[in-house]
Amino acid sequence: MDPDRDDAARLRRGDTAGLAGLMGRHQDRLFRYLLRLAGDEAVAEDLFQQTWLQAAERIGRYDRSRPFAPWLFAVARNLALDHLRRRRPESLDEQPEPEAPATPDADPFARAVARQQGARLADAVAGLAPLDREVLSLRFEEDLALAELAERLAVPLPTAKARLYRALARLRERLLARAPAGEWR
Amino acid sequence: MSAHVTELLALAAAGALGPGEARRVEEHVRECAACAAEAAEWRRLAEGLGRMPPPRPSRALVARTLEAVEERLAEQSERAWNRAALGFAVAFAWTMAVVSWLLLDLLTGALALRLDRPVGPTAAWYAAYVIAGWLTAGVAAALLGRRTPEEGRIA
Repeated sequence: MDPDRDDAARLRRGDTAGLAGLMGRHQDRLFRYLLRLAGDEAVAEDLFQQTWLQAAERIGRYDRSRPFAPWLFAVARNLALDHLRRRRPESLDEQPEPEAPATPDADPFARAVARQQGARLADAVAGLAPLDREVLSLRFEEDLALAELAERLAVPLPTAKARLYRALARLRERLLARAPAGEWR
Repeated sequence: MSAHVTELLALAAAGALGPGEARRVEEHVRECAACAAEAAEWRRLAEGLGRMPPPRPSRALVARTLEAVEERLAEQSERAWNRAALGFAVAFAWTMAVVSWLLLDLLTGALALRLDRPVGPTAAWYAAYVIAGWLTAGVAAALLGRRTPEEGRIA
């Protein structure tokens, strides 16, 4: 028996223990996804709370014959995209202006942390456009196959492939522009 | 040597190529040092993306969220109960009005007469009075019902 479906049924009956079960299993992935998509921790926290509120309110619309995670992520995605569109009316495909590179007298600890490859990569990803960040997170962190990715993004397969390629190309470009020669590798 | 496959190298590293394209990349990379080097770079980037530090929600955020959802569910349940109670009260009041009308007629002996003849002016006024009263109450209930969700949204 799928624990998500059991917990969703409990939540539908108003039993908040069902919510605790669902949150326990999905909170980390959901927060990571929202943080990558929103690119801001405070916004991600707000969206995280709104997602669970809306999921609990609309649990009656969840089709129990299907897996819970894609439904939850769709709720989160709609909220996040609404928020991003309100905050930045320009296209969500557009990259923000590149930030100035860190100055040599920046906080030494921050510099040391930023030198670590994972952190630097996460930093470069954070500078991409929201839809680029989303596709990279879904592919490499959520580990979705291309077909699942297309379904999650509600786009045809070739579009999902093109988005993935564009996000990777932009990321590489960004890393090459920011890091000293050869260091991004 | 086959044509360069530069455009496909990123997607190959991301595991997003179909079997035919993947084979084409593999065959080309075997014989082209430049593409092989670039493919290795893309692979390192893809591996790095899978190893980015995973952010986690704080315990405080999770606790706050659970509390907010519990509150919202309690409010929802209270609103549903109020709606059910209001519906019951309306149905009960309507039933009482109709039954009392029939009982009044029955007790005064007017029911038998009323069944034999068309509705008289007194009964028509009484019916109009009852209907007007309930229409007013219905409009008031509808307006109140509209106001409650608005208050909920503001909160």
